[in-house]
Amino acid sequence: MTATRTEPALAAKRADGLATSFLQTKELGVVGAVVVVFAAFALANPNFASGANLQTMGVDLAQYGLLALGVSFVIITGGIDLSVGSVVALSGVWSAWLNVHAGLPDVVAIVVTLLTGVAIGLVHGFAVTFLGLPPFVTTLVTLVAARGAALALTQGFPIDGIGETFGSIAQYRLAGVPIPALLFVGACVIAFFFLERTHVGRQVYAVGGNSEAARLAGIRTRRRIILTYVVSSTCAAAVGVLVTARLTVGQPGVAVGWELNAIAAAVIGGISLSGGVGRVLGVAFGAILLVCINSGLVILHVSPYYQQIVLGAVLAVAIVTDRLRARRSERLQS
Amino acid sequence: MTAHVVATGLRKRYGTVEVLNVDRLELRGGEVVALLGENGAGKSTLVKVLTGATAADEGEVTIGGAALRNGDPAHAQELGVATVSQEFPLVPELSAAENLLLGRRAGTSGVLFDRRATERTAREMLARIDADIPVRRPVARLSVAQRQLVEIAKALGRDPSVLVLDEPTSALGPVESRRVLRCARDLAAQGKVVIFIGHRLDEVREIADRVVILRNGRMVADLPPERASTQAMISAMAGDEAEVLVEGDPPPVGDEPVLTVRALEAAGIGPVDLEVRRGEILGVAGLMGSGRSRLVHALMGALPATAGSMSLAGSPYAPKHPADAVHAGVGLIPEDRKHQGLLLDASVRWNISLASLPRIAKRGYLRPRAEKAFTDEVRQSVKVRCATQEQPIGTLSGGNQQRAIFGRWFATRPKLLLLDEPTRGVDVGAKAEIYHLIETFAAQGMAVVIASSELEELMRLTHRTVVLAGGRVAATLERREYSKNALMTATNDIPGGVSA
Repeated sequence: MTATRTEPALAAKRADGLATSFLQTKELGVVGAVVVVFAAFALANPNFASGANLQTMGVDLAQYGLLALGVSFVIITGGIDLSVGSVVALSGVWSAWLNVHAGLPDVVAIVVTLLTGVAIGLVHGFAVTFLGLPPFVTTLVTLVAARGAALALTQGFPIDGIGETFGSIAQYRLAGVPIPALLFVGACVIAFFFLERTHVGRQVYAVGGNSEAARLAGIRTRRRIILTYVVSSTCAAAVGVLVTARLTVGQPGVAVGWELNAIAAAVIGGISLSGGVGRVLGVAFGAILLVCINSGLVILHVSPYYQQIVLGAVLAVAIVTDRLRARRSERLQS
Repeated sequence: MTAHVVATGLRKRYGTVEVLNVDRLELRGGEVVALLGENGAGKSTLVKVLTGATAADEGEVTIGGAALRNGDPAHAQELGVATVSQEFPLVPELSAAENLLLGRRAGTSGVLFDRRATERTAREMLARIDADIPVRRPVARLSVAQRQLVEIAKALGRDPSVLVLDEPTSALGPVESRRVLRCARDLAAQGKVVIFIGHRLDEVREIADRVVILRNGRMVADLPPERASTQAMISAMAGDEAEVLVEGDPPPVGDEPVLTVRALEAAGIGPVDLEVRRGEILGVAGLMGSGRSRLVHALMGALPATAGSMSLAGSPYAPKHPADAVHAGVGLIPEDRKHQGLLLDASVRWNISLASLPRIAKRGYLRPRAEKAFTDEVRQSVKVRCATQEQPIGTLSGGNQQRAIFGRWFATRPKLLLLDEPTRGVDVGAKAEIYHLIETFAAQGMAVVIASSELEELMRLTHRTVVLAGGRVAATLERREYSKNALMTATNDIPGGVSA
């Protein structure tokens, strides 16, 4: 970067720009909701904001948050990825199988698992772009098949005995912060830079905003779409590794319904289901809000059944807000 | 015999522009009335008023003696008006029979769907227009002509007394067109009023009992078939002011060819040969369905070429994707701004920088300040009026949106700019500014290809115009040969059309 001049007028202008851009931030709502919900639970039960609970929430956040980030890429292009929960389960047991039964070293097993995620994403992407299959159907197939593969691989039993390095990913902390939480923060920073600071990221938004306009403007829309499915499945594979590391066993029955949590976090964070709209900041806070609500309700001893209802209600608010926003922009255009 | 449809004193304005001013029009049962006129002459407005789709500012329409409630399409249907147009499409996944009975119920089985009765009724409906169509087949798998016949049969389902056919043959080949035309004739013979909006003069001559011609919203001719020669129809459509429109000269043309096209073929077009030189503005004229848009899309790589070769500025040019075209220095401003041009929800900035992103970014990194500066420069050069570049582009006027898209492409400094209906949906003032922009681009050495259905536009802007018919170049006119009469004759001289 070139050296910046520090004339007072320029500095004032920039400060003014910061203030307006803060007020125009669409994610203010979800950020505010996180603050309010967090404060409310912390007041209701001091254990909520305790170090131990924050650490548990950090690990949960890494799981939901990574899935939400990945799914957001797909939703931004106007697609959907329903497979992520099952891909978490499959890659969880796959990494354990590679590590325990195939005898691959910990790191190699993890890398191979991530590459498997890449491959699943490529299959999704090709099916959607070149075969023209609807994203919903394509990823629904994987939702069913990947879960089946996870069960078949393990015959329904957990795979025990993963290596020490593997297990340590979820157990070690850096200055009190669990490694998975740090990974999530890192992923957010990378996703932010990719989506909002690179030309390829902008093209991803353009494909979701109007794919025909994007194509005619010289954007290779198919490649961009394939890329987003790869990101989503790879995130899911990473979460699978984290889950196995946390449980220290490969469990085929984990992550049932997580795809819905991930999509919910994305939509709550302002990712529009019609594509082309939404930012990483919102997704991160959408995931934080979900984790806060889940953890808070557990601490307050609310039955898990009611937790589902609360989650549904939050999602309903987010979807209605999204719809209203879309309708407002349609009105402005007419 | 008294007239079945009577329109008196119809007036319609949009803003300051009068689009319809018809004192009296009478249509009798048993006649096919062809409605002719250029783009914007008022044909579609007149039909929309007659079918209740649009409310007239003044005037009255009676159908079978009853006054039509102004701007009430349901009432028009009750009075027996049916329309066949692209605006009420069929459901592609449903069978022909299901489409024909959509919204109605056949058979007596109450709540259940009675397939046999549905198919029987559908066959009866098709038999009335003598169409033999497999009623069980999904509409998506019927040919275009078969679909057209299904639409006509569907429109006849309510047994209308007035049938409007809006360009029913524009997508059909000669044989299929003939079939639809014969069907229109038969319906008139059954005593119905058939209003036929057409572009192809040979067809009009073939089926019309009367030819009503509109120009600038007024009825300028009402010809019986014996007086409706092609020349008479063209003169009436073109009017007397035809010669006045060519004024001044566009900027001079360079010598080097920018684009050379040899025997190019793609779905629905070709073989086409073309040459466009530096600074030249080439017009592409032709009727609806003649392949204007297809040609432009093929030049952009958006429609795959199946044969032939092209070269751009001396190098071979074979775009397989618009990305290749952009890379080679070609830009396209598409016909349908909303669906093919804009990211409506996104900001002016995102829309302007869209085609230049790889160039603004440094090693992939898109510096916000660089993009803003870039956008500001482009915005000023094409004069997009907006509060800030962060404003959603959907909130701007049509003219401003179009200028933003011009800016998007101008910023890529293309060697060749392709325009498809560049002034559709913009007002008169904005039109003049866009013309000025196009002339400025050409003066800087860009080659420009304009596909347009507005002859005035081509006459005003272009050095040369190729006329397409059936996907091929049927005629080429130099600027000195331009007159509305000549261009219209050239576009209408060729019978037939794209084979479906």
